[in-house]
Amino acid sequence: MRKIYRYAMAFMLMGASLCLQSCEDYFDLNENPNLVSSPPLRAMLSTATHKTGLNSQRVAATTSFFVQYVASPVAGNGTDTYQVTDYTSTWDALYLAMADIYDMKQKGIEEGASDYVGVANIMMSYHLSLVSDLWGDAPYSQAFDNSTLTPAFDSQQDLYAESLRLLDQGIAELNKTDSKVALSADNDLIHGGDKSKWIKTANAFKARLLNKISKQSSYNPAAVLTAVENSYQSNADDAEMKVFANRNPWAQIALNNQNLVLGGWLSRQLVNQLNGTTYGVVDPRLTRITDPTVTGTFVGTPNGTGNVGPANNTVRDEVYISRNSPLTGDLSPIIIASYAEMKFIEAEAAFRAGNRDRAYTAYLTGIRAHMDKLGVPPNERDAYLNNPAVAVGAANLTLALIFKEKYVVTYLNPEAWNDARRFDYQYAGFTLPVGADLPTFIRRVAYPQGESSKNPNTPNSPVLSDKLWWDR
Amino acid sequence: MKNTFTLIMLFLLTCWSTSVAAQQREVSGRVTAADTGTGMPGVSVAVKGTTTGVATDTDGNYQIRVPDNNAILVFRFLGYQTREVPVGGQSTINVSLATDAKQLGEVMVTAMGITREKKALGYAAQGVESQELVQHRQPNVLNAMQGKVAGAVISSTGGAPGQGTSIQIRGINSIDPTRPSQPLFVIDGVLMDNSTSTFGQSAELRGMSNRLADINPDDIESINVLKGGAATALYGLRGANGVVVITTKRGQQGALSVNFTSTAGIEEVNKFPDVQDKYTQGYRGVYDPASFWPSWGPTVEAARQIDPTHPAELYNHFRDAYETGNQFRNSLSVSGGNETITFLSSLSHLKHEGVLPFTDFENFSARLNTDVKLSEKFKTGANFNYSKSGGKRYNADRFNESLSYWSPRWDVRDFRKPDGTMQTYRNNNPIYGAATNQMEDDVNRFIGSVHFGYAPLKWLDLNYRVGVDSYTDDRTRTAPGPRGLAGEQVYEDNGQGFVYEYTTKFRSVNSTFVATANSSFGENFNATFRLGHELYDENINSFGVEGNELTVFDYFDLRNAKQLNARDDQSKYRLMGFFGEASVDYRNFLFLTLTGRNDITSTLREDNNSFFYPSASLSYVFSEHLDLPSFINQSKLRLSYAQIGKDAPRYSTSFGFSPYSGFPTGFTGFTRSALLGDVNLRPEFTDTYEAGLEMSFLDDRLGFDFTYYYSLSKDQIIPIDVAASTGYVRAAVNSGSMRNRGVEIILNATPVRSQDFSWDSKIIFSANRNKIVSIREGLEEIPYAAQFGYVGSTVTMKLIPGQPYGNIYGSHWQRYYGPGEEEDPLFLDKDRPIVIGANGFPVRAPLSSQKILGNSQPDWIGGFTNTFTYKNLSLTSLLDARVGHEKYNQMGNFFAAFGIAEYTEDREDFRVFEGVLADGTPNTKQVWLGQGMGPDGVDYGDGYYRRFFRGVSENFVEDASWVRLRSLTLSYNLPSRWFENNFIRSSSVSLTGNNLWLSTDFSGYDPENSSTPSGSNVDGFAGFTYPAVRSYLFTLNVGF
Repeated sequence: MRKIYRYAMAFMLMGASLCLQSCEDYFDLNENPNLVSSPPLRAMLSTATHKTGLNSQRVAATTSFFVQYVASPVAGNGTDTYQVTDYTSTWDALYLAMADIYDMKQKGIEEGASDYVGVANIMMSYHLSLVSDLWGDAPYSQAFDNSTLTPAFDSQQDLYAESLRLLDQGIAELNKTDSKVALSADNDLIHGGDKSKWIKTANAFKARLLNKISKQSSYNPAAVLTAVENSYQSNADDAEMKVFANRNPWAQIALNNQNLVLGGWLSRQLVNQLNGTTYGVVDPRLTRITDPTVTGTFVGTPNGTGNVGPANNTVRDEVYISRNSPLTGDLSPIIIASYAEMKFIEAEAAFRAGNRDRAYTAYLTGIRAHMDKLGVPPNERDAYLNNPAVAVGAANLTLALIFKEKYVVTYLNPEAWNDARRFDYQYAGFTLPVGADLPTFIRRVAYPQGESSKNPNTPNSPVLSDKLWWDR
Repeated sequence: MKNTFTLIMLFLLTCWSTSVAAQQREVSGRVTAADTGTGMPGVSVAVKGTTTGVATDTDGNYQIRVPDNNAILVFRFLGYQTREVPVGGQSTINVSLATDAKQLGEVMVTAMGITREKKALGYAAQGVESQELVQHRQPNVLNAMQGKVAGAVISSTGGAPGQGTSIQIRGINSIDPTRPSQPLFVIDGVLMDNSTSTFGQSAELRGMSNRLADINPDDIESINVLKGGAATALYGLRGANGVVVITTKRGQQGALSVNFTSTAGIEEVNKFPDVQDKYTQGYRGVYDPASFWPSWGPTVEAARQIDPTHPAELYNHFRDAYETGNQFRNSLSVSGGNETITFLSSLSHLKHEGVLPFTDFENFSARLNTDVKLSEKFKTGANFNYSKSGGKRYNADRFNESLSYWSPRWDVRDFRKPDGTMQTYRNNNPIYGAATNQMEDDVNRFIGSVHFGYAPLKWLDLNYRVGVDSYTDDRTRTAPGPRGLAGEQVYEDNGQGFVYEYTTKFRSVNSTFVATANSSFGENFNATFRLGHELYDENINSFGVEGNELTVFDYFDLRNAKQLNARDDQSKYRLMGFFGEASVDYRNFLFLTLTGRNDITSTLREDNNSFFYPSASLSYVFSEHLDLPSFINQSKLRLSYAQIGKDAPRYSTSFGFSPYSGFPTGFTGFTRSALLGDVNLRPEFTDTYEAGLEMSFLDDRLGFDFTYYYSLSKDQIIPIDVAASTGYVRAAVNSGSMRNRGVEIILNATPVRSQDFSWDSKIIFSANRNKIVSIREGLEEIPYAAQFGYVGSTVTMKLIPGQPYGNIYGSHWQRYYGPGEEEDPLFLDKDRPIVIGANGFPVRAPLSSQKILGNSQPDWIGGFTNTFTYKNLSLTSLLDARVGHEKYNQMGNFFAAFGIAEYTEDREDFRVFEGVLADGTPNTKQVWLGQGMGPDGVDYGDGYYRRFFRGVSENFVEDASWVRLRSLTLSYNLPSRWFENNFIRSSSVSLTGNNLWLSTDFSGYDPENSSTPSGSNVDGFAGFTYPAVRSYLFTLNVGF
């Protein structure tokens, strides 16, 4: 039949200026010219590290309401008041990033590029934690691998265990010395191709995971401390991502707010902690985080109420995420995990292990490191560190103080919500948002419409006050 | 066909006239065609009531002897209206004949350019002739077809110059909402692109043209709409949504004929929303002339006491923001030829300025059609059309949204400061946006073809045509950056300034070969056999560079931008078909046509890419078979069945990695492609059945054409949205089926036909019913579109099995259900009382309950055309109706949120909402509708409209039915005696009004508009659209 076609065509199209070497080739246009079948590993690394940084911010853009770093300018905002809100775009971004990480890992295995496999494992572990800490059970074992269009949901405990396993495997891969392809410094947007920093980051994530189960009997502070010790040694080690198409997404929120697309209003909870209202000491980081109001004061917005004025919500009589802050400027990096945070994990684990001196030292080191990172002048930094409300001495150190200080360090980081839940929101002055949809603090979010409408395996969402396994 | 007929007529008439006895007096004259002005050979001229008759010569001249002054001459020619002229004392009688679209003996151009007698067709086909197309002077040919074709829903997406128009024939037949449901367009045998490209940032909101806008309507001779499967079968899968066959004018043998048409007109917005004029700027009743809130302040009187500069009355900023538009089109055509060569050439220029400031469209078109008859056996010819179109497009969605934020306390027309920066009290000035934030497109297009016809034997005819449709579409998107002046307020969308350059190169080559053999066997049978081959080869290459942050604020050069992004998209498509057709007629009353086509497509993999599908149609002209009463003229019954195959959207079988677009310049990366391709995709098939009855009565003065159709598409190829946990956004699958069925009715009547006065009337009516029979197993619904509404009033369009396409789902007021009464999860029971909360306000049902609030597909459409002709004067009116459909009015949602709607003038009233409390007892609680502290001492916060009303989709999904006077045209043919002594051959003037009257309950702009670009299957949103226009046009036509 094909032969007949060919002859017929050749005859009939004699005059036509068409290239007809072979009929079969002629209709074989299945290779999409907009796609490549096998991009180099480094080109997958740049995408994966970029998405990892952005996803950290994306999740924090939601959880920062729950921990009351920010408050909505609009009364009764869904996220702000614990309503069942659809976070499909966050879920999708996380899963599409995991698909890219998965593909990079598969290709890394194929090519014997252990460095890439290691980094993929670490980023995959981080994403699994982000997903599972928001929603609990989630697809993983059947996800991304083309095996099914409706992946099953794995239990949150299994995901936790897998996150840890991935970190250990990642460290093991990175410790190999025979990677066929070396990490590309230009394409590694988190650590610039520095394997040792990736190993530190793996340990930092491990410290977080091990510390996250502080409510569980299996909690092992010694293991946490080991992980901390193998993690960052200074601010220079921090896992950060600072490549943006336009600007840091927090800065974009701030810019939008300037342009009256309102958002990024700091919560009264955060502002009152920093401006001395709650603790009687003004934290010098306040002016490195935000700008004063038109009247020169620092006023936060209560969660749930929206604009409290006195002027209408377009007059700058409250404070916002600032483009002048080293954390949220146009060029500021997104901090995925930091040395300062590790110091607070150390403080907490040491405290829980009964080693108050180590805990206290870590507590002070953590504050100092964070202040340095924010560029607080030494005199202001030291004044704060020496303030009696802060320099309580090892004997008077409490978990509450550790959580209080860590709260500032994890500003706009998704890890803050894990801490808040572990700490049962016992921060001084922390109250339910006005008009909250739940009688108690929020503990999880509902499965997104995007997944539940297309994947019948999606469980029904429990009430949002229902605790995740490690929170019980 | 026509020529053969003419020759036969000539022959017969010549014989006839020689046998006639001597006459008393001689009358002579010339018969010309009304549309072209050329002489008509072979016209029958007879003396009424006698056997006397002659035929006109090759120039249209005749001489005939008449018995006396009372004689009446009858002029007849196939396809033209018959005219009777009393002789009186005249010795010279010149007559022009107008074409007659409804005459049953007419021929139609069917699939592949095959001309067939209409009576032989076993399926519905409807033609629109040149005269009907040009009478409204619509710049876009599709608009000219509105209200004239049964079964075709044709909608302007808005009133912008050059803005796209959509056409849907017999409903949506694909579950895939991204798959175009537009019919295939064929111009002079060449497949022609009619897509609407939305390539380029925000282009989807800028009313881009459907590419048919490139064609000069004055060039078109006729348009035939092939609707069902049997009609389109030979076109194969590309004709699955129907085919619009356009035939352009060709030269006639004879003297050179020159035709000049000039149209000039103005236009204005045909419908504005009602706005309140009582409350001014501010919030919670507090006046603030710099407030973001346009209309939640105090009354105008109260504000004037605070601020003496406050105008005495609010501006009507919606009316103020729009201007009077204008349009000019000049067309010139020259045609003529001799026995060997005929040609038609034309030039046309359109300049159109829209009602939205700084929007325009310009089109230049040049055409040359030639036919060469080298011998009786060999013919050839070529058509060339070059066009250039484009203009400044603005984002009407943004314009109207910004207008909604603009406070009517301020004059929106005062938009620019002397230093060139934006003039505003605070919010973005929409007119400044239109003036500075621009997109301009420039399309250079060439459509050309050459054809050869060779008839080596009497019964064999070979035809080959190769055509090309190619264009480049260049788009430039610019906005100036800040000038750095003191007090400058930057227009938000302009940011730091940008210049984006986009180019799309489109090229399709289309080659068609058809061999036709005629034979008769026995004395009763005639048969025609056709075999053909078609090839379609298309390349589309789009790329662009987006430069942001300009250094010199208004220097729109990519080298002046600090940051560059690249865009690139390529697509190739190839399709080849072999087809055959056999038609047999029995004694000229029974016609059977069988077709088959085999397609090979590049979008499916080798094992599945070749597939065959057949059709059969039968026409039974029972008026020529049965002995019917004499008042019944030609009448026939039609039956047809067809199967149509369809391939996959491009690259549905491939997967890989696409460039990651989240990076700034200097970084590259790849990411998994959004679509999971399936190498095993199979073609999908649609079965269509159609039956029809055509009858004509009383000397063809009354006629109807009734059609019923049914189609079922199975195994549809759809890129379903998949859960992100798969790592993909979409996956291509074969699944789901959809059904359409409907009726089409055409009624023709000539209530009056007398010597000087005639009245012709035509009604078209059609109704389509769609049902989604099934979607993919395991899926309950496929959402395919959503549009934002405040606080939970966002509406969604989704496919749910058992429901029709086009349903709009959204939030609704809670209705009362007593104990044991079950609430339907999909249908809203509006007869039930609304539940009122303890606070006295109506309760919105939980957002998880999304019910059907409307459907965007009309229950029925109708058109009613009347033409009154008195001597040289004629009046044509077209009433057009689309009834029984709903659209979401996003602008209405914003009007509620910002206190703009007229009904919000009751904001300081008390009301007891009608409804029942949760326990079923009637609500008696009185509440205040305003903001803040009410007179009753209760704090009402942001007030009823912002707290409750705006958050319920039900309030904004409105009945979008309309009836309109689509057009009214008065034209006058200047008496030919005025030009007897000069070179002007004929001349006419006409006045046209389009959209003169509109009746609708829709509260926004004209509900025919759509928020989505033309060609989109999403037609349920009509909020912030470019308003439709009412236009008044004057046209002069002169023939030389």
